[in-house]
Amino acid sequence: MHELSIAMEILEIVEREARNHGAGGVRSILLKVGDLSGVEISSLTYCFEAIRGEKEVTRDADLIVDRVAVRVRCRPCGESFPGHGPLVRCPACGGLDTELLEGDELNVVEIEVE
Amino acid sequence: MDSIKLERRILSRNDVLAGDLRDRFRARGVAVLNMVSSPGSGKTSLLERTLGGLSEEMRIGVIEGDIQTENDARRIARTGVPVRQIQTGGACHLEAAMIAEALKSLQWEDLDLLVIENVGNLVCPSAFDLGEGARVVLISTTEGDDKPLKYPAMFHSAHLMVVNKIDLLPYTDFSVDTAVENARSLNPDVKVLRTSCRTGEGLEVWNDWVRSFVKSRD
Repeated sequence: MHELSIAMEILEIVEREARNHGAGGVRSILLKVGDLSGVEISSLTYCFEAIRGEKEVTRDADLIVDRVAVRVRCRPCGESFPGHGPLVRCPACGGLDTELLEGDELNVVEIEVE
Repeated sequence: MDSIKLERRILSRNDVLAGDLRDRFRARGVAVLNMVSSPGSGKTSLLERTLGGLSEEMRIGVIEGDIQTENDARRIARTGVPVRQIQTGGACHLEAAMIAEALKSLQWEDLDLLVIENVGNLVCPSAFDLGEGARVVLISTTEGDDKPLKYPAMFHSAHLMVVNKIDLLPYTDFSVDTAVENARSLNPDVKVLRTSCRTGEGLEVWNDWVRSFVKSRD
């Protein structure tokens, strides 16, 4: 349910940036959403579409979501590998001492404006 | 048509506010816990059972987050510890701005420990930093021991996992070992405690953990 708060933040960020660049309207917004970000992408898209009309510049904007899978690195042996689901046991040495490389992103990457 | 590169974290406004709160807490030497769990895992019970005793050794304040009602704040108030209730009115998590607002009516500057009890929800609170020094996640033995795998973001970000209601273990299929293994597969450094608010088992170990957490902030 926090997807609505996130959609509202997206609108704020995008409106501010579009205004700073003197853009008339925003055509698309590219996001990166990691599997560990706790965000349900379909719910975020739904919320965004429900409120994008509240700002003049985002009225016609499409949301494009680039989903980022979890990738971790084993600290002792240095191997990096995808987190299969949430499990992050190292396939090389079997260790559990791992650090997250990517997968917790929740970023606005870029916007297309006109 | 032009592309504008942003590479901006969406929750950066919350992160900035939370960073500001963290600086304020640190400057005044206040240790802050953010307690998270599913509804009904026993966050309020754990606080109810331990705050009264701990408050004889240190100054404690509590912020309670709930969607509706002041029931939890009333329960905490009976321990004699000052408490503020935040009613989110439908929102499923607390945000840093709500904490900043609640602090205005709490004499937080003189506290040793501020406990924030988040809204019962294992999904949304994980994304919102509240400026805490440590995040404590509770899981109870009437839930599934695969909860860490189902809610990885929350268990990934926790400093301590408390397995509560261990008095009920004989009546459930919950395996503490499996739950711990699942949590450590996401978060190898997470500490684990076992408690029962009903029998009191493990509560002294929890108290010790709180004491050392507060000491580490001095």
